[in-house]
Amino acid sequence: MKFRSSHVLILAAVAALGAGPAAAQFKPTKPVEFITHTGPGGGGDVIARAIAQIIDKNNLSPVRYQVANKTGGGGLTAMSYVVNEKKGDDHAIAVFTGNWTTNPLVRKEAKVTIKDMTPIVRLVLEPALIVVKADSKYKTLKEVVDAAKANPGQVKQSGGSLTSRDNVVRQLLMKNSGANWAFISFPGGGERIAALLGGHVDMMIIEPQEAGEHIKAGNMRVIAQVNDSRLPAFANVPTLKEAGFDVPNVPQVRGIVAPPGISPAVVSYYEDVFAKMVKTPEWQKYLADNYFQDGFMKSAELAKFFDEFIGTMRNILKDTGAKVVR
Amino acid sequence: MDSFGYLMQGFAVALTPYNLLWCFIGVFLGTVIGVLPGLGPAATIAMLLPLTFQMNPTSAVIMLAGIYYGSKYGGSTTSILLNVPGESASVVTCFDGYQMARQGRAGAALGIAAIASFVAGTVGVVGLMLVAPPLARFALSFSSPEYFALMALGLAMVVLLAGRSMIKALLSMLVGLWIAGMGTDLFSDASRFTFGHAELLDGVDFVIVAIGVFALGEVFGNLEKREGAQILPVPKGLRNLMPTWQDLKDCRFAFLNGSLVGFVIGVLPGAGSTIASFISYGIEKALSKHPEKFGTGVPEGVAAPEGANNAETGGAMVPLLTLGIPGSGTTAILLAAFILWGLRPGPLMIQDNPTLFWGLVASMYVGNVMLLILNLPLVPLFAQILRLPAYALFPFIFGISIVGVYSVSGSLFDTWMLTLFGLLGYAMRKLDYPAAPLILGLVLGDSMERALRQSLMMSQGDLSILVARPLSATMLFLAVLILLSPLVRKANALRVRALEEGS
Amino acid sequence: MNLLRSGEVMSGAVLAALGIYVILEARQWEYLGADGPGPGFFPLWYGIALVVLSAALIVMHLRDAAPAPAAPAERGGQGRALAAWMGLVACVALLKPLGFLIAFGLFSLFLVRVLYRQPLGRALAVAVGGTLGFYLLFDVALNVSLPRGILGF
Repeated sequence: MKFRSSHVLILAAVAALGAGPAAAQFKPTKPVEFITHTGPGGGGDVIARAIAQIIDKNNLSPVRYQVANKTGGGGLTAMSYVVNEKKGDDHAIAVFTGNWTTNPLVRKEAKVTIKDMTPIVRLVLEPALIVVKADSKYKTLKEVVDAAKANPGQVKQSGGSLTSRDNVVRQLLMKNSGANWAFISFPGGGERIAALLGGHVDMMIIEPQEAGEHIKAGNMRVIAQVNDSRLPAFANVPTLKEAGFDVPNVPQVRGIVAPPGISPAVVSYYEDVFAKMVKTPEWQKYLADNYFQDGFMKSAELAKFFDEFIGTMRNILKDTGAKVVR
Repeated sequence: MDSFGYLMQGFAVALTPYNLLWCFIGVFLGTVIGVLPGLGPAATIAMLLPLTFQMNPTSAVIMLAGIYYGSKYGGSTTSILLNVPGESASVVTCFDGYQMARQGRAGAALGIAAIASFVAGTVGVVGLMLVAPPLARFALSFSSPEYFALMALGLAMVVLLAGRSMIKALLSMLVGLWIAGMGTDLFSDASRFTFGHAELLDGVDFVIVAIGVFALGEVFGNLEKREGAQILPVPKGLRNLMPTWQDLKDCRFAFLNGSLVGFVIGVLPGAGSTIASFISYGIEKALSKHPEKFGTGVPEGVAAPEGANNAETGGAMVPLLTLGIPGSGTTAILLAAFILWGLRPGPLMIQDNPTLFWGLVASMYVGNVMLLILNLPLVPLFAQILRLPAYALFPFIFGISIVGVYSVSGSLFDTWMLTLFGLLGYAMRKLDYPAAPLILGLVLGDSMERALRQSLMMSQGDLSILVARPLSATMLFLAVLILLSPLVRKANALRVRALEEGS
Repeated sequence: MNLLRSGEVMSGAVLAALGIYVILEARQWEYLGADGPGPGFFPLWYGIALVVLSAALIVMHLRDAAPAPAAPAERGGQGRALAAWMGLVACVALLKPLGFLIAFGLFSLFLVRVLYRQPLGRALAVAVGGTLGFYLLFDVALNVSLPRGILGF
């Protein structure tokens, strides 16, 4: 029979009625698997546990969030687990860090990327501090860079792997200033700090909450911060731009993603949970204690952010000489 | 208030019934975890973290610390009875511990392990209490050249583990170095020997190799025999169920050696209990009056490494509590726990939280006593496991190996690796290649390469940095001495023979 | 020929081959970078050491006037051990489809019944008892997850 506009309207109304309540009605019925790529005690693990604790305390979820550590390959194991083994699972989400976006760019063993996952929310941006030993002869970043220009390769920085943020910032600064200084990789944060405090390297780039106590105790001095604007706790410390180095900011990003193949209703549900969580006083305190910046973004925005961020990082990594494979 | 006063206050905290209970729970759990291969204190502490949010931090850290040093007690059990290292640090205990069990002295071995652990654990706590801050500063002076020298010293120990054929020992060690090199290179992000598998990007987990080569190698070797009878004699009589006074006397030096070496190495972030137990074993053998007996079942061969891996826990707490720097994987989780509880470990922690620090220290004394009381009576009980006939015991060992390996990372890939290393272990047995050097190479290879490259990066290619400082120069010198010692001995033997023939 | 049966020669050859493989791989990576030794440095050297030492092993073995008498090998023995190994491989292969409990149960049965020639009743007792024990100890008491198969346990 002929389709008349009234038929279409009725059909649309029925569809909306049918889909509406059902779409809003996802509720988890068993514990949610909260995946992280670090081992117990590592960055992703700590934030996952903090989140789980806050959600639990504020009764934001009818079920438990169970942290699952899937370590290996610098995040690749966890990513592969999310995309392949948890496909379509409504009860699995994961904490992503900046690593999840950049690691696949340089590792040909990576079989999945973050674009294969469903973005949920972005939570925090983490700035960094450039620190020297408290009794170091360098008082400003400019002095360090000048010393490096005068003696190429003799100034030393301790840090993580070549694709870590420490090295990315170093490469950007070196390119900007024409200076050249050595980068000494240590596998663990503890060793990097020990190298600095022992006077074996001249500086390091460190996350504020790792450095906090050492600064308070007077063992470390902050000479610059890697941030767009000054952190309140470090109001006297210039940002990179203020210190005279016009380089792009490289924040460490953390947020939540979910496996592919889940319905929009599920995405909305988790978006809401986290939207509520970031308003709680416990979360605000967590941000303040750890010097995180609130970078809350919902799913659609996050998807766009991923595209931009991956593009930017690809260019930066190429500039640093890393072998970019995708 | 002076340290003693604080310590008394600490005891007041540690000895409350509530904290005693949590201490007991911690050490008990730790012992069980230690006995089971694969499952380690790090994972257990992580699992229990959420439960601790309801508790006050002092009690929580008492319990978690109990798990940590408790696991070192348990680790020796399966090493001695089944040649299955319960924990990576217990590998060295297998060398003489299992041999003692084969001679029917399993009980004595277990007892020595427990006592050595107690002595070392206590020394570790005393060290933590008395010399923590200056020792932490000492640890900071340790940099890559010193680490390289330390690892080189450790590798030089291969000479002492060689047995009949030095060439085979060296080859075994080289294979260990190769396996250690598998994975992502830290400095250049190159993937080495991963054969295209993403699972190998982090290399092979030590536990898989240790269980495969030691435990499964042994099992396959035993499976050649037809009888399903008991593989190991059950210790009969108190003499074999417990260490004798003579045993304890023989181990006097080993107790001291293990405690000191373990504690000092534990303080260094980046050097762990495995290397501590190897070096302690090496020193014990080098300074012994009967070095050739090591590896055949001498009590000192059990006491030294067991002491070392226990004292290491005390040592690892030093940088954690005085500097906020984790000295090992497990202390990294403890650090995370502190942060989650709202505490901030760092140079100011002892000042800001004396109750917590001294309560913890006091509880570690108490915990070690509890562990001794727990473990000694359990020795005869555990020894009864040996009553099981081979056909019941071996499936158990296979099962526990698979579960242990799987529990490390939840990956079936690792279980496949286990089968490969089991075959390797069997082949090595048949062809008379010693397994200890392989483990040594595996444990040290990675760290040594890293330390060398870091050193050369710091000195911009100048090799002299390795001997420029007194500590590293001394250790390297010792390493060279040890490496040359078999040649010296051979030269001496030749000289003696020449003299005899000449006269 | 006796040479091939000799353990030293065989293992020496295998290790030498490994050494050569390592050297070839090492050549793909940087030997000496701008900052210091690259990823190819160490592997090249221990690859060389592997080749040199295994060659030395073979040479010394060939030179030995009277090679040490091989321990009287129970001919059946090696076969048994290898059969057990294959059983282990099968068990691991079955972990994914059948889960640990069943795979392990079957493996235990194989070990006790076939390799140790124990009566069926005893074999079943060990297999079932062991499997149950593992289940209770790990899954229930310690909450350690055992590999699960398609049957869900």
